[in-house]
Amino acid sequence: MIQILTLAMKDLTIMFRDKSGFFFTFIFPIVIAVLFGSIFGGDNNSGTRTMTVLIVDEDSTTASQSFVKQLDDASEINVVPSTITIASERVRLGKNTAYIAIKKGYGDATQQMFWGDPPEIEIGVDPARRAESAMLQGILMKYGSKRFQDTFSNPGKMLQNLNISKEAVANDSEMDTIWKNNLSQLFSDLDRFFEFESTQIEEFDEHSVDSPLTSGENNVMLPLLVTQKNVAVLKSGPINSYAVSFPQGIIWGIIGVAAAFGISIVVERTQGTMQRLRIAPISLGQVLAGKAAACFTAIIAIDFVLVMLAVTAFGVQINSLVLLLFAMLSSAICFTGIMMLLSVLGKTERSVGGIGWAVLLILSMIGGGMVPLMFMPGWMKTVGTLSPVKWTIMSFEGVMWRGFSLSEMLMPMGILLSMGVVSFFIGVVVMKKTS
Amino acid sequence: MIRFTNLNKSFGNRKVIDNLSFTIKSNEIFGLLGPNGAGKTTSVNLAVGLLEPDSGSINIGESGSPHSKKDRLQIGVATQSLAIYEDLTAEENLLFFGRIYGLRGKVLRERVDWAFQFVSLENRRNDKPANYSGGMKRRLNLACGILHDPRILILDEPTVGVDPQSRNAIFEQIKMLNDAGKTIVYITHYMEEAEQLCDRVAIIDNGKIHAMDSVENLIETHGGKPVVRVKVQDEVMDYETDDPILKLDDLRKSGSIGRFSVEYPNLERVFLKLTGKKLRD
Repeated sequence: MIQILTLAMKDLTIMFRDKSGFFFTFIFPIVIAVLFGSIFGGDNNSGTRTMTVLIVDEDSTTASQSFVKQLDDASEINVVPSTITIASERVRLGKNTAYIAIKKGYGDATQQMFWGDPPEIEIGVDPARRAESAMLQGILMKYGSKRFQDTFSNPGKMLQNLNISKEAVANDSEMDTIWKNNLSQLFSDLDRFFEFESTQIEEFDEHSVDSPLTSGENNVMLPLLVTQKNVAVLKSGPINSYAVSFPQGIIWGIIGVAAAFGISIVVERTQGTMQRLRIAPISLGQVLAGKAAACFTAIIAIDFVLVMLAVTAFGVQINSLVLLLFAMLSSAICFTGIMMLLSVLGKTERSVGGIGWAVLLILSMIGGGMVPLMFMPGWMKTVGTLSPVKWTIMSFEGVMWRGFSLSEMLMPMGILLSMGVVSFFIGVVVMKKTS
Repeated sequence: MIRFTNLNKSFGNRKVIDNLSFTIKSNEIFGLLGPNGAGKTTSVNLAVGLLEPDSGSINIGESGSPHSKKDRLQIGVATQSLAIYEDLTAEENLLFFGRIYGLRGKVLRERVDWAFQFVSLENRRNDKPANYSGGMKRRLNLACGILHDPRILILDEPTVGVDPQSRNAIFEQIKMLNDAGKTIVYITHYMEEAEQLCDRVAIIDNGKIHAMDSVENLIETHGGKPVVRVKVQDEVMDYETDDPILKLDDLRKSGSIGRFSVEYPNLERVFLKLTGKKLRD
């Protein structure tokens, strides 16, 4: 046992002294976790991201200024006032994603009801950033609809707009008579409706500040009421995006350790130290046990460091310390076994390094270590069940935000343990045969 | 001592050790010489238990076996490849291998101090081998092999890639170990090293011992006569003779000699005579 510990200590010392190895096992996973967490969480980690766009008000009316203020108050975007020349140039140079230009005549158009041209807004976009421009169109439609909704929910303003529209239609000599009669009839009906609503609101205002048209019980002017409910939150998390990204970071740390130790066995063989160890009065089993103990300890250490960092610096919560320990142990056993299998994939450091990393990257790819499984097609999700990466991520998600119970943890843990034991014994048998 | 008895070993269809029998005596420096692929390394690997013979037996001491951990403690090896950890300091390397060989506490520290002093690296014990010269690495490799005070020391090409000063130091250290009662098995391609160091030499080829005796006896038996080489005008001629001085005198009387040299029989000539001049890969 002392010899096994001596071997393990030696390997851990070498691993921590190797700067590139230390980077890939400890620093890189933290970078991955923080980077992915920031990407998923947005700038302020509240689940929304903001885009800075330039705004050009060519109309300069009360209506256009009101719309600019509405966009300025919007949480989805930051608006920066500009001129059309400067805005076009900045977007062309890629300094801004897009600009919004409120065209002349916007204010007049907002007062027209059911006829004439709608208020016009131009957006200039960087063709390379279509996703953001589509998002911007959606945001503009949202606030455009809100203006429409606000007008309908304000009977006084609506009556004022109707009067302007009625007068404009009556004075329009070019309009078709049938169309003119239909619009006049519609405006008269709406007039009566909003006069009635106006008196209702005056009576209602004595008791409540909410308009009956827009109160929570009576959203009659909303085209669609969408509410969002995060199913996982029903249990316990994720408390933030880092609870989702840290399991991914952990898997990268584990992969780094498994690859490093798999390669280290081949290095021992090629540099002759394995021969010296095998001549010494210890068995091959003890040598491999020492290597496995070091790999296992390193994986537990990287798990511990990343979990501590997630909890202390990024506010991630752990549902159960016992289940966390189980997740750490099962993933460490699994990847220690995989490390042993990797070490016999080739005869040289280069071949094991190349093949080992290729295998681990594929396992990571299909297991959700790079791209979350939810973005993958169905057949790939099925293939992903073969990857220990998937079960490791699931077990850590289970304790970080999915709120797994012990019975729910049994499946990922059982699969990880099975994969680890089978890989370890295949690796040992092949190594004994080849050595 | 190590005794090989009717040893056979094949890798697939290729027979590497062919009914090999010889004995390395206690407290001698035994040279094992042979071309590439002759079976030297396989013999060593069999002696230290890294390989299992197809038939035959190996004894360490009177009845010890290389597969016994206790008997393997009697053997120390300085491998041809530098079997040291470059990311550990020299001292950490020795402490590690000492612990692997079961040394602990004060005994371990004393052995490490002795080993550093023995190979003259005490001032560089806290450096990593990565910062050592080739000769220093070889000496550290030797220190790792002798740390646990083995009775038998197997040295596989211990002077490859070292400068003459380091080689001389290694020779001195080997002689000191031999004087201290250690049995040395010295594997080399350098014939002059075997001539200088070894009490007895075995020339092995194709898994068989072709000759085994003291260097003097081998030269006497297989070396042939001295050769006088003379250059007359543009022609170089060799003459085998028992008395080179007399032959040179005869040649001088019969005509003019441009340049001449006398090549006395040596181990290299014995080696080439017994193993041939065909290239081995």
